[in-house]
Amino acid sequence: MNPALLSLLTPLATAILMLLCRSRAAVWTIAASLLSLVAAIAALYQVTTDGSQLIHLGGWESPLAIRFRVTALSALLLAFTALIHLLVGLYAARSRHSQTRNTDYWPLSCFLHASLASLWLSTDLFNWYVILELLGLTAVALVSLAGTKAHRAAFNYLLLSLAASLCYLLGVALLYGRYGVLDSLLLADMLEADHTTRTALLVITLGLMLKAALWPLHLWLPPAHAGAPTAVSALLSALVVKGPLFVLWMLWSQVAPVELGRQAGPAMAAAGVAALVSAGWSACRTPHIKTLVAYSTVAQLGYALLALGMLLRWGVRELHVALWLFVFAHGLAKASMFLAAGEMQSTLGSKKVSALRGATQTVPVAMFAFAVAGGSLIGLPPSGGFLAKWVLLQPLLLEPSHWPWALGVLLGTLASAAYVFRVIALSFDRAPPPRPDYNPDPVAQWLTLLPALLVWGMALGGETLILWMSGVAY
Amino acid sequence: MSTTLFYLAIGIGLWLMGLHGLLATRQSIILVLAINIMSSGTFMVMVALATHSDPVDPVLQALVVTGLVVAVSATALALRLAASRRRRTEDDAT
Repeated sequence: MNPALLSLLTPLATAILMLLCRSRAAVWTIAASLLSLVAAIAALYQVTTDGSQLIHLGGWESPLAIRFRVTALSALLLAFTALIHLLVGLYAARSRHSQTRNTDYWPLSCFLHASLASLWLSTDLFNWYVILELLGLTAVALVSLAGTKAHRAAFNYLLLSLAASLCYLLGVALLYGRYGVLDSLLLADMLEADHTTRTALLVITLGLMLKAALWPLHLWLPPAHAGAPTAVSALLSALVVKGPLFVLWMLWSQVAPVELGRQAGPAMAAAGVAALVSAGWSACRTPHIKTLVAYSTVAQLGYALLALGMLLRWGVRELHVALWLFVFAHGLAKASMFLAAGEMQSTLGSKKVSALRGATQTVPVAMFAFAVAGGSLIGLPPSGGFLAKWVLLQPLLLEPSHWPWALGVLLGTLASAAYVFRVIALSFDRAPPPRPDYNPDPVAQWLTLLPALLVWGMALGGETLILWMSGVAY
Repeated sequence: MSTTLFYLAIGIGLWLMGLHGLLATRQSIILVLAINIMSSGTFMVMVALATHSDPVDPVLQALVVTGLVVAVSATALALRLAASRRRRTEDDAT
């Protein structure tokens, strides 16, 4: 069997089996993530040696077929998804404070994994609609695991996600009515810059921006991500918002006519800068730890949007690399940051940022994980975030006419430094006397550090990674 | 052609009505209904586009059937969440 398909089918089969048999769910899930990771690495190896490949599901030929396409990027994303699921699964299984140990978290996270994997492989607009719906429904179910108090956030999340899907579907229907094709690879050669296409792309883009929580359509994200159980918050911020971003990137950089991209690019880049500044400001102001981390997700997505916008405007190839490096670095750093925030919050018994006073003495390892992940979000060397920012800034600094955008990146960096150092400065204060139920869990704290160490490690192979990613086809 | 346009316009009208309902109200049940009206509008556009070609395009109709399945399951989840939200508000009131 094709290793990419194996990487998709393993979590799917595990999820279905777990609905029938509940015993040892955590062990099965972790084993499935591990197997999926190995399969994804095999797929990555195959793609780098033989080039990208098309899989025709069920043996049907185009145009009736549903095709999966394995490229170097999609194989890398498969591996990334499996890796994050593995790391988060280890924490969720081991930590005393994770509220998800004996719940439906396990089958649902497997379903989430499978939906994401099929999203990376798919090339069909309608297939993406179905997968985005699956992703949304699973994510809502995961958020509602936090109990009835989270049902309000889950309900709002579900409604917004449905509305966004319907925007997307309307756009897809218009495109199909105009061109009679749904496969994005076939559409790429046919699209013309006429009124129908413009309207369809606009509606699709709005739907996807709402789903990916891109500024100014991001207001649903902080309550949903902050209200979810810790392991779920990590998965949502690290992976789920990247799904619609991937579709947006595919649509604009591969399918849409170049001149439309040139017109839309600056607007997207401006929205990216606005996200960096406004969400960074909100993160500096919020009183709650997990809300701070959730706002930081909105801000960091601004970098991805900025990179996409400038890619469309100027067509510089390196910006593909910058965008995806941001996604990988942010995913790892944010997984670590959410897990550390959740672990500190439940050890110290308060949701407030002010409860972190003296956290370097009470929960040292988790605080260290938070700081390392924060360093990557700011873009301090050595880290994955620094690599991404380096690649992003190079084409910006070469041309004097691009310098205003570099200023936007600088503002974003300052904002992220402000909210990360807000927490770190507080943690070096003298700790108040511990509460009577203070009972730290050192192993769980080390598990929160793992993704942060990986994002640190991205810097070690930095040059090879950048060169390799510049070499693959997009 | 004119019938196609007529149904297209009605579909888009329904979609906009649903969107307006979604933005203008805060009651859970009405919100769920608004989403359903919005999806009916989308499906109507798709069916209208399908009759545009001769013979009728089966692909779009198949897509509508898939979309209906998705809409039904999403509505079920939304109703479940809305019900527990309501119960919680009543608990808080007493």
